[in-house]
Amino acid sequence: MNAKVGTALLGVLMGVVLSRIGFSSWDEVHAMFTLSDWRMSLAFAGAVVVLILSWALIARFIPSRTNFRSRTLHPGTLAGGALFGIGWALTGACPSIAVVQLGEGQLAAVWTVLGIFGGNWLYAVVHARFFRWDTGSCLDE
Amino acid sequence: MTYWAWWLSALALASVPIAHWLLLNRTLAVSGRYTALVDRIRYGAPETLEGVDQAALIAALRAETEAALGPEAFDELDELDEVEAALPIRAPDGPLMHLLFLGGLAVGGLLSMLAAGSLHFSTSLRGEHFAALLSQLPLPMPLWLVLGGVFVGFGTRMAAGCTSGHGLCGVSQFQPGSLVATAAFFVAGIATSFALSVLP
Repeated sequence: MNAKVGTALLGVLMGVVLSRIGFSSWDEVHAMFTLSDWRMSLAFAGAVVVLILSWALIARFIPSRTNFRSRTLHPGTLAGGALFGIGWALTGACPSIAVVQLGEGQLAAVWTVLGIFGGNWLYAVVHARFFRWDTGSCLDE
Repeated sequence: MTYWAWWLSALALASVPIAHWLLLNRTLAVSGRYTALVDRIRYGAPETLEGVDQAALIAALRAETEAALGPEAFDELDELDEVEAALPIRAPDGPLMHLLFLGGLAVGGLLSMLAAGSLHFSTSLRGEHFAALLSQLPLPMPLWLVLGGVFVGFGTRMAAGCTSGHGLCGVSQFQPGSLVATAAFFVAGIATSFALSVLP
């Protein structure tokens, strides 16, 4: 398959899936985080279980495709994850969801997208200036 | 719009990283695409080996290797060839691919709304709870979302991953960094949301 078409289609698939699950709704994300509705938490946990089984199946039947990227701990892992969690709860968006919201017609998400680009840029500057550990981000795909 | 049941959601959500891995030969990692776009703007296009004499380059690298490590370094070349064959070494996606993926996400959201017959454009975010929050916010809504977005962008780059790369892929592969990052963002998300829900 043409890589450009494939990449765009994977984006469309992910957009539809996130939207239909409810991840693009601020209210649904808030209900997930305040533990008043477990549907999306179960969906996430269920997806992880399905993925564990899927990677095992891939290892069994397509052994050449198990060269997964390793994600080791580094000093930014905990703090970075926590900061992201705060932002997710404030905006109702993770990096994919902000763009999905925009496509759904929730035009305010343009502010979230701008903020994400700005925050990503800001971290690059801060990292180069103050932190010098290896985040593995040069391997980011 | 009615959302999918949890089990259907789980199956659909899992299908995305699997398809991404098997069809595109890449781990699904959306914040990495933001990082790549930001770095492309910061540093411009990367240098390429186009126009470089490959044979001369390899000869020069061999000469340097031999000078530094001695001729026995080449004894291991056969093994190295095997390792290389097992690793799909590909050039990273260029900016067009990242934009195509992010554009695809937006189109997916649009199609979902069209199919549900509930597409309408709003200058806010949908949801009663969000509307209730808005009325109590100390900041104008755009500023709130930009600020929250900065947390998301800063944090995901600092943790080198987000919900897709760490939460779905890394956790299901028991990667230590992903387990810690995912625990951190869920705990912080829960704490922040509870704090928001008790706003006066």
